[in-house]
Amino acid sequence: MDLLIKNGFVYDPINGVNGEVLDIGVRGGKIVDPSEVDPREAKVIDARGKVVMPGGIDIHTHIAGPKVNTGRLMMPSDHYFSFMKFEKGVHRSGTGKYTPSTFLTGYRYARMGWTMAVEPATPPLKTLHTHEELDDTPMIDKLCFLLLDSNRILLDYLSQGDLDRFRTLIVWFLEATKSYAVKLVDPGVAISWSWGRGYGLDIDDEIEPYGITPRDIITSFCRVNQELKLPHTIHVHCNRLGIPGNYETTLKTMKSTSHLSVGGEVNIHITHAQYNSYSGESWFDLGSGSEEIAKYVNNHAHVSLDIGQIDFGTAITMTADAPFEYALFHLSRWKWGGAEVENEAASGIVPFKYRKRNFVNTIQWCIGLELTLLSKDLWRVILTTDHPNGAPFTRYPKIIALLMSKNYREEIFKKLSRRGLKKSILPSIDRELTLYDIAIITRAAPARLLGIDNFKGHLGVGADADVAIYDIDPEKIDLSRDYMKIKERFSRALYTIKGGEIVVKGGEIVKEVYGTTYAVKFREEIDKSLLKELEEKFREYYTISLSNYWIPEEGIRHLRYIYCG
Amino acid sequence: MAGLNLVLVTGRSLSQGEGLDIGKTTKDYFEGVAIIELDGEDLEALGVVEGGKVKVETEYGSIVVRAIKSRRKHKGIAFMPMGPWASLVIDPNTYGSGMPTLKGIKARILPTDEKIPGIKEILERIYNIRVKEIPKETLSEGESVSTASRVIDNVACSFCGCLCDDLEVEVRNNRVVKVRKACSLGSSKLLHSRENRILNPYVRENGVLVRVDLRSAVKKAAEILANAKYPLLYGWSNTSVEAIRVGVELAEYIGGVFDNTSVICHGPTIQAVQEAGFVTSTLGKVKNYADLIIYWGCNPLNAHPRHLARYSAFAKGIYAKSRRDRKIVVIDVRETDTAKVADLFIKVKPNSDYELATALRMAIRGYDIESGKVAGVNVEKIRELAEMMVSAKFGVIFYGLGLTMTQGKGRNIEELIRLAQDLNEWTKFVAIPMRGHYNVVGANQVSTWTTGYAFSVDFRRGYPRYNPGVTSATDLLNNGDVDAALIVASDPVAHMPAKAVENLVKIPVVTLDPKWSLTAVASTVVIPVAMTGVEVGGTAYRMDKVPIRLKKLVEPPPGILSDEDVLRMILEEVKKLR
Repeated sequence: MDLLIKNGFVYDPINGVNGEVLDIGVRGGKIVDPSEVDPREAKVIDARGKVVMPGGIDIHTHIAGPKVNTGRLMMPSDHYFSFMKFEKGVHRSGTGKYTPSTFLTGYRYARMGWTMAVEPATPPLKTLHTHEELDDTPMIDKLCFLLLDSNRILLDYLSQGDLDRFRTLIVWFLEATKSYAVKLVDPGVAISWSWGRGYGLDIDDEIEPYGITPRDIITSFCRVNQELKLPHTIHVHCNRLGIPGNYETTLKTMKSTSHLSVGGEVNIHITHAQYNSYSGESWFDLGSGSEEIAKYVNNHAHVSLDIGQIDFGTAITMTADAPFEYALFHLSRWKWGGAEVENEAASGIVPFKYRKRNFVNTIQWCIGLELTLLSKDLWRVILTTDHPNGAPFTRYPKIIALLMSKNYREEIFKKLSRRGLKKSILPSIDRELTLYDIAIITRAAPARLLGIDNFKGHLGVGADADVAIYDIDPEKIDLSRDYMKIKERFSRALYTIKGGEIVVKGGEIVKEVYGTTYAVKFREEIDKSLLKELEEKFREYYTISLSNYWIPEEGIRHLRYIYCG
Repeated sequence: MAGLNLVLVTGRSLSQGEGLDIGKTTKDYFEGVAIIELDGEDLEALGVVEGGKVKVETEYGSIVVRAIKSRRKHKGIAFMPMGPWASLVIDPNTYGSGMPTLKGIKARILPTDEKIPGIKEILERIYNIRVKEIPKETLSEGESVSTASRVIDNVACSFCGCLCDDLEVEVRNNRVVKVRKACSLGSSKLLHSRENRILNPYVRENGVLVRVDLRSAVKKAAEILANAKYPLLYGWSNTSVEAIRVGVELAEYIGGVFDNTSVICHGPTIQAVQEAGFVTSTLGKVKNYADLIIYWGCNPLNAHPRHLARYSAFAKGIYAKSRRDRKIVVIDVRETDTAKVADLFIKVKPNSDYELATALRMAIRGYDIESGKVAGVNVEKIRELAEMMVSAKFGVIFYGLGLTMTQGKGRNIEELIRLAQDLNEWTKFVAIPMRGHYNVVGANQVSTWTTGYAFSVDFRRGYPRYNPGVTSATDLLNNGDVDAALIVASDPVAHMPAKAVENLVKIPVVTLDPKWSLTAVASTVVIPVAMTGVEVGGTAYRMDKVPIRLKKLVEPPPGILSDEDVLRMILEEVKKLR
């Protein structure tokens, strides 16, 4: 059925629409000119006094795959108290607050008005698992980033200087696993972790036995990424994550690709930058390094980042940075999950609690907000919590309110570590983001950075009809003072429209739909002789055969290719 | 009469494994499974000749079986293959874990003249099931269309948790005629895939299974499930992820309990992970790196025959190039076949694995162990092993049902995981459970991503709940709590404790199975399905959680659908009724 969304305050940054009162027409799952929709035939939504935005896009959220599922397994306590009941004909059931089950993940995103999410770290060998979970994640479009930094076969070729094969194999791995972009996590660390080493690996340290450095890995992948014209840049979790003083490594990482950027195009994405923006030399003299990071990003157009904001309370940290998780286990002393995937990656899972009165946690909390508020170009700074590492994604409304209201921030300051606040710059920042800014950092910018802004993240004619309507009247609500309203209203979208269908009404699921899984596809054919060589390598390195490694298209519910090259 | 008090251990054996494919009513199965393996000295003390009959008595029941002289010494310990005979004497209590106690049970063995009951007698006399009419069905040979054969390579074997994916299967006239590279269990499954098949749906009327068409069987199944107040949906480890996903949806829709067979294998491992976390790797890591391999409470040469050659002890890896580059340790209560290939065998006293793991944790930290012996092992030996562990470059512990099924259950695994975690302070160490059925891990995975819990998931309140001592299949059946059951790809009548089986056969049971399992024989509705991994494809998860696609090799028998398709039909029918 056609839809006509009438008289809403529309925030659509890609089309430069900033709160103008407009009508939006929807037909056949796409946005059309409202004049094409016959109001007598269509379902008309009266959006007078409401905010209309494109559906939210989460560029970095651990929602599916082997480590997420193990996180669920490790935390029955999380699933015991948080659940959603099955409703016949409407939606499935689910459990979990920090590591929700797949159905619940989809429903919670939809209820907030989000319509797309990226699983940012999947080990190639287990990516079929990731896709099976994404297939069971309703309501949203999805895609996954592939862990490639510690891939033995790729590093063999890289260290031999065979960049042709290195490049071709990146194509092969992405196509074989139906994934979307290259993810580098603490580049090279899983190689060292095979022997239990690698904690604190820095960008210019040599990696045994290859004799190359993380810098080589980052720049080589970046170069290939540009050559292949992949829709997203390399997605980098920097070396030395979570270690005091690491902002210098982060600066080096960003600089490492600056010379490769053509015409100032973004060529590196630094993910959950908060965890990589620490100054100081130890946990005792930790400080915020956000100013230096923000300064670099403001002055260099080739970098984008997402913030990885933390919130206080429980979180479940999970990352392919295995040595870091092992170190964190020594702080938390509760549960540690460590897993390794042959020739590819290693990961760790540690449940964690961020405390308000804690010096370190206070600084961490400030840094994420600082990185956003110090930014001069929000198109390169994305809102994330690195779910479930910093906080579950359901805290986005709270973080939006914090970014929009200095009053709210000051309210929270009262409960934080004073020593931590002194080491932070947040208290001195007055900036409050507008609804337009929020639409950038949660919709338009992620779509642009993912390279899909021609059909996602905006409300122009021809775009996918993914729309969120919030019960916020910017002419009546004082966004800075009424921050609790911002939080509430973003938590429960008045309407969420996915692919032209109303799926959420009044914050409740009214219809279950399944979105599309996006993957990259290349026009170039892969050299047959290389495949023969690869088969040999597989026999030597892996425990499954090359042919069984390839994920068939029919294994994925709705697969859509984005062509590159 | 002279009797002997022994410790009884039950578990898998090669002939038990092969018997699954040729049928449990066959002579081979009877001869391979209705036995007890005794140490030569014990046998002599009993005054029983090899092959003679003995009566096994435990607190929970008694049964007469044939005595076999064990090839190795394990005085004081008796072994029975899991099956309907062992089920009568094992301890059904789960002590809050969902897992009955299947190993380390106190038993009294007596010579006897009584007859060894056959399968039919057990079903009829003990469980009151009329089996006279087990329908005899033969899959027709079909017309010989051609003599041309084709070879399918890189086939993943759908027998055990190893999921070896390098099989070469030759197919002619829609039949598997040759299997290369597989172990005897794997090739037996493929070569015997046409035997003992159920070819028609059946519904029990007046106590007798009557042949019906698929539509009526599905309808009857749906009626049973839709009308039940608290149904149990059990099995799921021998089918595809695709089928399991529909199974969860069905359980949710009817407010039943969704449980998989890990409740009687590695359920305690899952409980240990919930307590302590884990430290693990895929098998390729072991193949390429491990210079110390410990098999603890598992016997892969019998249960996972290709494990040693493909993934562990004998595998050719990048750093550990051959057997010579690896040290092998076996820890078990008896000297198993796997123990024969070990550099060090540690014989642990039954039910004391927890103590041994604790002693090892102390030894690697350099703490004093005051007692001279722990768990029946000399402290020197424990120190020796601790030294081996700490000085290894990459160590792995493979652990099996010898830890999950004995006293302590999940606590044993928890201690073992903590031991592996501790060892990472000094070196690299991982622990990997030896999972049995080829897709039991898949059942856990699907259950976890859809509900948050890996097994024993109760949907009665409309959302998933989990409480293994209450909502497990074993406890629900032991206590007679459920009023209907759907059994998919499993044979609880053969493997659940007698107390659970007694209650299961009292309620209406719907069974989906390609073969005449004992559960199928005892069911109210029987719906035949295609064999996953032979006649239909799908995804399965290896013991190290690596997903592997199963291939369709031949067409299923005419009119026979996959588990997934039949479950969807039942779900659709249920939706009309409820």
